[in-house]
Amino acid sequence: MRRYTLAAVAALATVSFAAQAHGPSRQKVSETIEINAPADKVWTAVGDFQNAGWIPVVEKTEGKGGNEVKATRTLTLKGGATVEEELAKYDAAKKTYMYRINKVDVKVLPVNDYSSTIEVEEEGGKTKVTWRGAFYRGYMNNDPPVELNDESSKKAVQGLYKAGLENLKSKVEQGS
Amino acid sequence: MLACAGGASAQEAGDIREAYVTTQLDNAVDVVDLAAGTVVARIPVDGAPAGIALSPDRRTAYVTRPEGHGLAVIDLSSRTVVETVALPGGPLGIGVNPVSGAVYVADWYGARIFVLTPSPQGLTRTGEIAVGKSPSGIAVTPDGSTILVANREANSVSVVDVATAQEVAAVPVGEHPFGLTLSADGHRAYTANVVSDDVSAIDVRARREVGRVRTGKRPYVVALAQGRGFVTDQYSRTVSVFDLATLKPVGSLDVGDHPEGIATARDGRTLYVANWGDNTLSVIDAGTMTVTGEIKTGDGPRAFGDFLR
Repeated sequence: MRRYTLAAVAALATVSFAAQAHGPSRQKVSETIEINAPADKVWTAVGDFQNAGWIPVVEKTEGKGGNEVKATRTLTLKGGATVEEELAKYDAAKKTYMYRINKVDVKVLPVNDYSSTIEVEEEGGKTKVTWRGAFYRGYMNNDPPVELNDESSKKAVQGLYKAGLENLKSKVEQGS
Repeated sequence: MLACAGGASAQEAGDIREAYVTTQLDNAVDVVDLAAGTVVARIPVDGAPAGIALSPDRRTAYVTRPEGHGLAVIDLSSRTVVETVALPGGPLGIGVNPVSGAVYVADWYGARIFVLTPSPQGLTRTGEIAVGKSPSGIAVTPDGSTILVANREANSVSVVDVATAQEVAAVPVGEHPFGLTLSADGHRAYTANVVSDDVSAIDVRARREVGRVRTGKRPYVVALAQGRGFVTDQYSRTVSVFDLATLKPVGSLDVGDHPEGIATARDGRTLYVANWGDNTLSVIDAGTMTVTGEIKTGDGPRAFGDFLR
């Protein structure tokens, strides 16, 4: 069973997303954090699509197109894996943007057709940051192995969001 | 119920106007009273319910459960699941033959539709029909003679003859067709091409595509009202509108996050859109092309299919 699972994952990793049906049930994840700082300061730390340094696992951000729609970036993660992303919406006045993952190995983040929105809102002198995601599980066929099922995919994204938002909070509040 | 205000006739007032919304992430079907604009009941259905179709007498709902690998049969007057049917593969899209009452279920992971036949004893799986890869949306012509199936991975729409239970044509369309909607006379079919961001119009009798119209990003399902097509655009958070006669875009409406299922109410004028991301239904007036209301639902509304009565 274990051997079958690993073989199936390896086979999937070589197939492009567009040629495969995804799972039947899109998942959603939303995490929020309150930061004790003005919204402008938080936006400065999180609002540049070309600098994902506030996400702890990201070592390097390289991209082109700035903060224009269709801008792209490649995140190099600690350990060497990469994630290719594209900006879909950007509204500096409302302090929000949305982007999609164009390419990621499901062993790095077990998701398909992933999109994500970051929102920064002023709330009584403090700032609320919300990070939301919509995606299908890592396994694109029926009866997924546990590590690529809906629950595992949600957990992985939740973990990423929590760590990212906590890191953002400490960076902004400590001014580092 | 019958002692109504507003001078409507007794018959109109007695008519049930409800939406049945598959709330996939809540494993439920929400019953929405359309006049009141609220969820009035929640029917638990496990297996990530997604697709829905109603029986010809509109008293029974059939709901697909792709993760439960089957189908739930709901009696709409008692609002209870009265039967479940196990099916292999990934049952997702669903349609009902308006004449015979047969139920057709698409296998998302395969290239077939299952045929289920109702009887007083319940729903029995009686056959399957080969179609294109990853069949999704299903519609049946009003005379009950022809099934149309959008095949997502095959970029085609299957035309299936009910009498012989055979695919008689595969009409090439855009990239990754998903929802499939028929005109009231059954002569035109419209399918939303998720990847090529357009809608294909099909002449059903000629078995060919007759035109294509641009939409927003990731179009999902088409509904028809007032001589126009209304298309949910999942990534754009919009409903694109096009003219059915000219196949030209005529506008677009902002709705909620990831709009999915859309259908026209019996008045021929009001449309309801399930916003998967926001857990709402948007209410649209087709005549003025405006959003006139919003109704809260459970988590992850899909409403993929015939969900209004």
